[in-house]
Amino acid sequence: MNVIECKGLTKQYGRIDALKDLSFSIRENTITGLVGPNGAGKTTLLKIIAGYLKETAGVVKVFSGHPFNNLETSANLVFIDDNMAMPATMNIEEILNAAGSFYAYWNRELANRLFDYFSLNPRQLYKDLSKGQKSTFNMIIGLSARCALTIFDEPTTGMDASVRKDFYRALLQDYLQHPRTVIFSSHLLNEIEDILEEVLLLAEGRKRLHLPVSELKEYAVGLRGKEEKVNRFTRSAEILRRERFGRDSIYVVTRYNFNKTTLQKAREAGLEVLPVSTADLCVYLTARNKGGIDDVFNQD
Amino acid sequence: MIFTNDELKPIYLQIAEWLETEILSGNIAADEKIYSQYQLAAMFNINPATAAKGLNILADEKMLYKKRGLGMFVTPDAAEIIRTKRRERNLKRWVEELVKEANRLNISDSELNDMIKAARNRSKEEQR
Repeated sequence: MNVIECKGLTKQYGRIDALKDLSFSIRENTITGLVGPNGAGKTTLLKIIAGYLKETAGVVKVFSGHPFNNLETSANLVFIDDNMAMPATMNIEEILNAAGSFYAYWNRELANRLFDYFSLNPRQLYKDLSKGQKSTFNMIIGLSARCALTIFDEPTTGMDASVRKDFYRALLQDYLQHPRTVIFSSHLLNEIEDILEEVLLLAEGRKRLHLPVSELKEYAVGLRGKEEKVNRFTRSAEILRRERFGRDSIYVVTRYNFNKTTLQKAREAGLEVLPVSTADLCVYLTARNKGGIDDVFNQD
Repeated sequence: MIFTNDELKPIYLQIAEWLETEILSGNIAADEKIYSQYQLAAMFNINPATAAKGLNILADEKMLYKKRGLGMFVTPDAAEIIRTKRRERNLKRWVEELVKEANRLNISDSELNDMIKAARNRSKEEQR
């Protein structure tokens, strides 16, 4: 069953297209990573799914209903980002106590245990928490709410590396025990890819890719070596990235559509055959420029 | 780069290989229940769909069989299948790579044989 279905989804802010003709669906009880460069439309998409924003055109369905201003949608989802409006006069323990009344499947015990684990001070006011502590607190609410649709929009802002790691582990553990549909936007794909089932990559408001993580890992291959040799092997391939280094060497990333013997031949010809990390791949796939930042400095 | 880097091998393949090694070493015997996708997910901190993909490789190659509602179990032939597969697919390929590199370095047959013997002796001593 699909929890989310979008067809031709478009959102305009004035004359600017934030989302353009976006079509995809997300199956129940999967964890999907939403990635893409700044301004790709990730937050806009998540807010439309959550019913905070209204689409300009196209169809969006969440639990088979139209999410905008829909009580049923909002009763079944939790949306976590770094802009959560919390009452200024309540300390975080009071907020946590109150949060339970908003969510039907709220798990008080999990909330308390996470709260203790991350050593938050119950008497502190939300506004006085550090950036990382706010994110930690929000994350506790997001997990403990155990909503059928759980949306995290860059939930790890300000968290240190060890808290991020704990969070990913906590998310996975709780998901294993209580499966639900999770969408998770992040710029740290290399950190989260192991716990994801699928990756949805946006660029300039459009869908660039929507694939199982395992396929994304085998999507591209990097070849490094003497330029003329590399060119010989990549002549008919789709080039995603081209970087020069040294006097006559080059690193080229192409779609992985070689067979094993071709790769073996490339190795024998003295080329390095390198896997491309999913995080790098997503950068290459969404870059306007095949040479990256170096193109700014190399004007030849 | 002769051998593929393990770190960059897809996780489901790493899981499949780890399970194979568990069976090969006798940690999970024939007709014994193997880890579920959820146990593997928790153990390796990975998505359960990825773990399932690893399990399915073993099931496809007849190292595991399904009992409805009970999970997956190790087939009686599993260890033998794994031995054959690793010998045919991995060991042969590595030996070919080894020979190619030896050729590039002008290593004679006897020299190469001696190196292999010495390595085997070292590993026997380590096991003692």
